[in-house]
Amino acid sequence: MATTVLPRATTYSRSRVYEWLTTTDHKKIGIMYVASSYLFMCLGGLLALGIRTQLAVPNDTLIPNALYNQLFTMHGTTMIFFFVMPMLAGFANYAMPLMIGAADMAFPRINALSFWIIPVSGLLLFSGFAFGGAASAGWTSYSPLAEAKYSGIGQDLWILALLLNGMSSILGAINMLVTIFKLRAPGMTMLRLPIFVWTVLVTAVLLVFAVPVLASGLVMLFIDRNYGGSFFDPAAGGDAILWQNVFWFFGHPEVYIMILPAFGIISEVLPVFSRKPLFGYKAFVLATVSIGVLGFGVWAHHMFATGAVYLPFFSAATFLISVPTGVKMFNWVATMWRGKLRFTTSMLFAVGFLISFLIGGLDGAFAASTPVDFDITDTYWVVSHLHYVLFGGSAMAIMAGTYYWFPKMVGRMLDERLGKVHFTLMFVGLQLTFFPMHLLGLAGMPRRIAEYAPTVWQPLNVVATIGAFTIAASMLPFLWNMFTALRRPADAPDDPWDANTLEWATSSPPPPYNFERLPEVRSERPLFDLKHPELRKPATAAAVVVNPGSGH
Amino acid sequence: MRRATIAWTRSLLALAVLALVVGACAEATPGNQVPNFFPAPAITDQGQASESLYAIVFWIATAIFILVEGLIIFAVFRYRRHKGDDELPAQTHGSMPFELAWTIVPFIIVVALFVLSENTQQKVDASTPNPPLTVDVTGFQWQWTFDYTAQGLSFTGQGTDGPTMVLPVGEDVHFRLHSNDVIHSFYVPGFFFKRDVVPGRTNEFDLTLDQTGTYTGQCAEFCGLGHADMRFTVQAVSPADFTAWVAKAQEAAKATPSPLPSGAQSLTLSASNTTAFDESTLTATAGQPFAVVFTNKEAAGGPPHDFAIKDPAGRSNLLFTGQPLAQAGQTVTYSVPALAAGTYTFICIVHPNMTGTLTVK
Repeated sequence: MATTVLPRATTYSRSRVYEWLTTTDHKKIGIMYVASSYLFMCLGGLLALGIRTQLAVPNDTLIPNALYNQLFTMHGTTMIFFFVMPMLAGFANYAMPLMIGAADMAFPRINALSFWIIPVSGLLLFSGFAFGGAASAGWTSYSPLAEAKYSGIGQDLWILALLLNGMSSILGAINMLVTIFKLRAPGMTMLRLPIFVWTVLVTAVLLVFAVPVLASGLVMLFIDRNYGGSFFDPAAGGDAILWQNVFWFFGHPEVYIMILPAFGIISEVLPVFSRKPLFGYKAFVLATVSIGVLGFGVWAHHMFATGAVYLPFFSAATFLISVPTGVKMFNWVATMWRGKLRFTTSMLFAVGFLISFLIGGLDGAFAASTPVDFDITDTYWVVSHLHYVLFGGSAMAIMAGTYYWFPKMVGRMLDERLGKVHFTLMFVGLQLTFFPMHLLGLAGMPRRIAEYAPTVWQPLNVVATIGAFTIAASMLPFLWNMFTALRRPADAPDDPWDANTLEWATSSPPPPYNFERLPEVRSERPLFDLKHPELRKPATAAAVVVNPGSGH
Repeated sequence: MRRATIAWTRSLLALAVLALVVGACAEATPGNQVPNFFPAPAITDQGQASESLYAIVFWIATAIFILVEGLIIFAVFRYRRHKGDDELPAQTHGSMPFELAWTIVPFIIVVALFVLSENTQQKVDASTPNPPLTVDVTGFQWQWTFDYTAQGLSFTGQGTDGPTMVLPVGEDVHFRLHSNDVIHSFYVPGFFFKRDVVPGRTNEFDLTLDQTGTYTGQCAEFCGLGHADMRFTVQAVSPADFTAWVAKAQEAAKATPSPLPSGAQSLTLSASNTTAFDESTLTATAGQPFAVVFTNKEAAGGPPHDFAIKDPAGRSNLLFTGQPLAQAGQTVTYSVPALAAGTYTFICIVHPNMTGTLTVK
């Protein structure tokens, strides 16, 4: 048996605060990413509660328009750039090196830099509230509205914050790529990578191609605003649609940046709690890569109503990208099929993901049909769709991942009863908040309005507001659960879930150097192979192996 | 056990279908419909074609929804692990026939949808060479102007209800969308259609209305502080009524306001941006008509402004509205009728956030 014995690192005592502030350990950095993302999630959630409170009553004047516009702009920006992206980067940071049997990331100090940029840029973004108003042109900051004539200093802070945030993403992505390509354990070939690692790999490629495009747009907008440039303002000879092309060339791959690692988490959680391998591993890898490629050809479907888009191309590409996504959905269901499902909180969130993300995915067929999109775009229908993808999809997967990896991260189990309360409230709240928005959009309610007149829109808005507060309430048992768990003595076994991948082959939490010894890697489930030597694949077998004695 | 699960799943599906049908049958009138799974019936030929497409996409999506959610729920109930059962299930790694099937079948469905969508798209985008009526729509922060250039008519909205666009049914109407500031979007839910109003480009399209009535519209592209107030009304009338309306409107435009008595008080007011008037207070004498000499100091191409007085009794009613709007660089004199003593709020109807206090004593 080939095992790799790593030398024991020397340790010496330092203040714990100093230790965390200066650490280059990917696990500590990963935990800090996750913690800071939850903090920003709470902030972004409070902003959302402001929006939902205002919309509960027609013609409401509770929140002045100027503040309302800041609320939804900052809500979107915070949730995307400071919650979902860094959260997934945090999971990738924590789990990916362990999953491939590495001792750390390839560039540990760059890794620390990538993390520390996040709180600094977040502070910059939120400082707008102290300087006469945060950004208020929407998270898309459409020009000319985002130009100096129409938007204040909050917009400049938004630009600078996102430039910094993007730098963090690019550094992080390069670090991930090098780690995956160079630091895999012996035997960990590309087609034995856990699916989560594959999704991190494709996401990192997307980041490297997409984020610099956003950065270029941000720099141009900054020049327009501060030095008299004329890139995006037609009044100065610029082109308003150019901003949208640049922004969405980044912005649509961004959607996949936020959902692919979520797919990865689900593809780890479902097999473990179904006690079966992922159905169709290779198809899954292929689907992930094709989503990554096609993801760069669909950006203008955000712009169908501008009248400045070649519709057939972007309509066809948008329809097409639903095929690999559909393949994944069927593979997940087939993974559960004839399994022995254990409904831990993590598994419940994974099933919640399947149920909700399906709705977000089916919505895509409406948005891809250009004549239908003309009506539903920029209405609450779109708000519903994007939240089914980002909340029903990404956030549910993030919750599944949190319950899954928490014992590994801190060596303590989360309470399952509190977890189930959390899941129930959040799942119900999610459906109540976002499903009615489909119907409101079809009835003609535009997005981003601070008030509405038709009283027939009120009942569903009230339902959505109740849902939003239900989601907020669901966070209380969750935060309490983590708080009490951290105060208990360490109780988590190395492999509490009977899992498949290498992070569970070391202690909980792992030592600074990760592994004392690595099991042999002969498939994408090295730990499963170790626990079930009788089922080990013969070295010559094809990828599709059916357990002898069982029909398909 | 298994049979019970299937029965349970079936009844759930039946419930879902029932809910959809009820939703579909809910009474719907464009403009003020109760939100449900379907948009209000469109009042244009183009909108009706798009809504047929919507229905096709909706039923296909619903079928897939029921199938996949059904499979998920079935798996959840049927394949849950029983206490004490520690045996591993069969380790199935995949199945080429199944995986090919759920790649190829969705591919065929989306290709079919794309073809249908493109056909509808052609109908929606079709234009007639010489449309009998052209309306120029100008969106600006935060109002609309509707120009019937050939008829010599122009309407700019006031307050939060905005202007009314009167259109004949049964004739092609050509729309041209203009903006000089930020992006807006011309959206009438009853048309099942919207098109962005983009500065620096003129978006054009044709619509044919086929049903009389009054329908609401509003800006759908976020455009700043007053975005939610950029509303307007579309009134669809018969061609005969339309001709009569044009004649009447042309007559009304010719009428001149009564001149101010000589020696009346004259107040000066100006505006240089969209956040506030340059003067925040004005004082006038009670019981006497007076004039407001209003200068719009915006740079060329900037937004129009005007001067209006709010009714202290109502939330959004106006006692007086200055007509016409002062375009950028223009000075307009408004003759205001006599007011009773008191404190009034004056506003710019284009920018309802621009207010000031008018003291009459």
